Amino acid sequence: MNRFIIADASKCIGCRTCEVACVVSHHDTQDCASLTPQNFLPRIHVIKGVNVSTATMCRQCEDAPCATVCPNGAITRDNDFVHVHQERCIGCKTCVVACPYGAMEVVLRPVVRSIGAGLKVQSEKAEANKCDLCYHQPDGPACIQACPTNAIVCIDRQKLEQLSMEKRRRAALDNMSSLTL
Amino acid sequence: MKKITSVCPYCGAGCKLKLVVDNNKIVRAEGAQGVTNQNQLCLKGYYGWDFLNDTRLLTPRLTQPMIRYQKGGKFVPVSWEEAIRYTARRLSDIKANYGPRAIMTTGSSRGTGNETNYVMQKFARGVLNTNNVDCCARVCHGPSVAGLQETLGNGAMSNSISDIENSKCLLIFGYNCADSHPIVARRVIKAKQNGARVIVCDPRKIETARIADRHLQINNGCNMALVNAFIYTLLDESLYNADYVARYTEGLDALRETVSGYAPENVEGITGVSARQIREAMRIYAAAPSATVMWGMGVTQFGQAVDVVKGLSTLALLTGNLGREHCGVGPVRGQNNVQGACDMGVIPNQFPGYQDVTDPQVREKFARAWGVDPALMDDQVGVRITEVPHLALEGKVKAYYIMGEDPLQTEADLGLVRKGFEALDFVVVQDIFMTKTAEAADVLLPATSWGEHGGVFTCADRGFQRFEKAVEPKGNVKRDWEIISLIATAMGYPMAYRDNQQIWDEMRALCPLFYGVTYEKMGEMGHIQWPCPTLDHPGTPWLYEGNRFDTPSGKGQLFAAPWRKPAEMPDADYPLVLCTVREVGHYSCRSMTGNCAALQTLADEPGFVQINPQDAEKLGIRDRQLVWVSSRRGKVISRADVNDRINQGAVYMTYQWWIGACNELTQDNLDPVSKTPETKYCAVKIDTIADQSWAENYAQTTYSAMKQRLREAVES
Repeated sequence: MNRFIIADASKCIGCRTCEVACVVSHHDTQDCASLTPQNFLPRIHVIKGVNVSTATMCRQCEDAPCATVCPNGAITRDNDFVHVHQERCIGCKTCVVACPYGAMEVVLRPVVRSIGAGLKVQSEKAEANKCDLCYHQPDGPACIQACPTNAIVCIDRQKLEQLSMEKRRRAALDNMSSLTL
Repeated sequence: MKKITSVCPYCGAGCKLKLVVDNNKIVRAEGAQGVTNQNQLCLKGYYGWDFLNDTRLLTPRLTQPMIRYQKGGKFVPVSWEEAIRYTARRLSDIKANYGPRAIMTTGSSRGTGNETNYVMQKFARGVLNTNNVDCCARVCHGPSVAGLQETLGNGAMSNSISDIENSKCLLIFGYNCADSHPIVARRVIKAKQNGARVIVCDPRKIETARIADRHLQINNGCNMALVNAFIYTLLDESLYNADYVARYTEGLDALRETVSGYAPENVEGITGVSARQIREAMRIYAAAPSATVMWGMGVTQFGQAVDVVKGLSTLALLTGNLGREHCGVGPVRGQNNVQGACDMGVIPNQFPGYQDVTDPQVREKFARAWGVDPALMDDQVGVRITEVPHLALEGKVKAYYIMGEDPLQTEADLGLVRKGFEALDFVVVQDIFMTKTAEAADVLLPATSWGEHGGVFTCADRGFQRFEKAVEPKGNVKRDWEIISLIATAMGYPMAYRDNQQIWDEMRALCPLFYGVTYEKMGEMGHIQWPCPTLDHPGTPWLYEGNRFDTPSGKGQLFAAPWRKPAEMPDADYPLVLCTVREVGHYSCRSMTGNCAALQTLADEPGFVQINPQDAEKLGIRDRQLVWVSSRRGKVISRADVNDRINQGAVYMTYQWWIGACNELTQDNLDPVSKTPETKYCAVKIDTIADQSWAENYAQTTYSAMKQRLREAVES
């Protein structure tokens, strides 16, 4: 089963440290000093309502609609997450429409392209941008490590089962005990 | 690659961090196992160091001394010898012609550290012979210092940041920790998880209000009325600890008399919350086995601020929530070393270690230690920074030596502050950046930054912590205290220090409160909280052991006062209340965070004005549109942030924007005791701009022109 990252709204303070950590983690040089409004393309987004502050990102669906609809086979399931192979992405945005969580975005990333004879030009590459669990980082997802209030957690099969168990116990022992049937 | 241990230069939470340095450049910041932060950092802690590289995203670093010889002329780069000679001569002339009190100086609550602040007040008092030395505590927690000194004896948090999570009730009053101290917010969340009841008094639905058991969404400007109603309830319902009050406090009868007209039912119209909510809040607070009151600028930045601080400490005294663990009073300090600046005596009424300037024995002690004739020492309380514009216009202050502060951005009613500056004969600015204040200087003295020097900071809970130098400074810059020493020497008082520790040890020897805080004891990760009177003393995590208060009688002083209205109420012309606030990604005047790539990417000019959706709809404003915000004093452009968390009738702006500068609008109604301006309340109106593309272009070109002007000023 895929692992996924989720934020606990009761701990989130809406500070957006996770967004910056995400961008830095996916930047070539891992250097926060090289961020610009153009390359600031977080895969995690802080959302605030009247009573809720939280961060939203990809749920790594088991039967991922983004992967199903991709016309170019750019999205596959690898190592317990839904993986976008950017070299195959054509920026068609079908995955954006298919995602029920708004977790998928198509972005234009500034890149430097070689055009032969040692010449380089500024260009843009379309990318389907979403959480990849920082699979390239030995220490795991950057947002989890950076969150000042430990509001962000990674859920795997074991953790999910543990949560369900707790909820079942609570439902059985707290709410039902006073019922007289 | 090496790792240098430092303390974050931003808020007062005192987070220990490691700066990873490669080839004299910082590459990243990592959390360290500090007492207050336990390996965690926040947005600014992780991503707030690249200003050191002179990124020029907002404004350039100062890299050489410069003088503007003629008013209105250009800056001329000069040697350090010339800059020191010229400054010393001008200050000496002004002192000779107009007296020592014609010169105003500032310490700095920011990255320079305690040693510099000690040297600056020594320069003011020992060399200039004036108590005219102050810092930006004046515009922030000045009222907390003044109020708590009177009621409890010490103007600081009575508790520790690390102990907040163990308290069983948090009464959070006018304090948005999620934006101003994320690492303290983390403790609040932990307290909640540990079963604490949380009561929030705030006009906005702030982050803490979301997790609160009770949110009293009060009217702006009602504070004293609400605190009086709290006190009334504690007395009326006999919720207070009568035994504690009888043994350890004074003033119960007068208190009862003062609050007699403030039954919660009587003040619903002022507070905007029901009597039931007020009474329930106090029942929860009084019933808790341990309770902590925390407050911030929502208390202190009003014309009636000291009174409210004294009233909040009265709540703690009435319920016996002092003098032990897990409870107390917590004015959480805003800037990383604003507690330290006060500790070091860059306040006009006290020497380092909170020793009164009006006490002849104290004056004599410092004069002897400094080799100065005690008769020359100023025996009057000095000028506060908020009084400078008025005194300059009256011709009483002629020179202003500003170190690491940006009054032309951070003070109330900037139009008035500018007029005051124009009236001054001589302005010296010692800083790391070309701020708006630096731009108005006659002499610019470039200093090393946090990261380029070491020293000691005091964090919000009285904890002294060392920070180390990470990189070599670039440019022709000097350590702040070295610059001050050179000027002192040129003015005829030889002053020279070898290093930070020599200054620290001189200071300790004069301050019984700090005597035991040695460099060795602080070490790399230590956090030593004053009072620490002896070498074997471990420091004091919570104050007032045995419920002995540091007041003349040793008893806690109960206090309440009649509520006073804010000075400028909304009317038909200016129908909205403007309240100035903070945002998590930027800090103070923004000269540091505005030059950090990540933080600048998250939020940039002209900044935001937060407004309730119903108010926005009435005015025909859509989210993210540019609007004009104006008061009787000025008019600025800002971007509407239409937001359900905002109360109707009020709008909120953060004070760090240089184009959308809300202090153009604020007013300087000062608290009568602390002289802190009422930046939380003035009347404004909002006008829509029909041509949004013109407005976007206007904001952008004004911003670009300002950045260009500041760059040229440095390069001249």
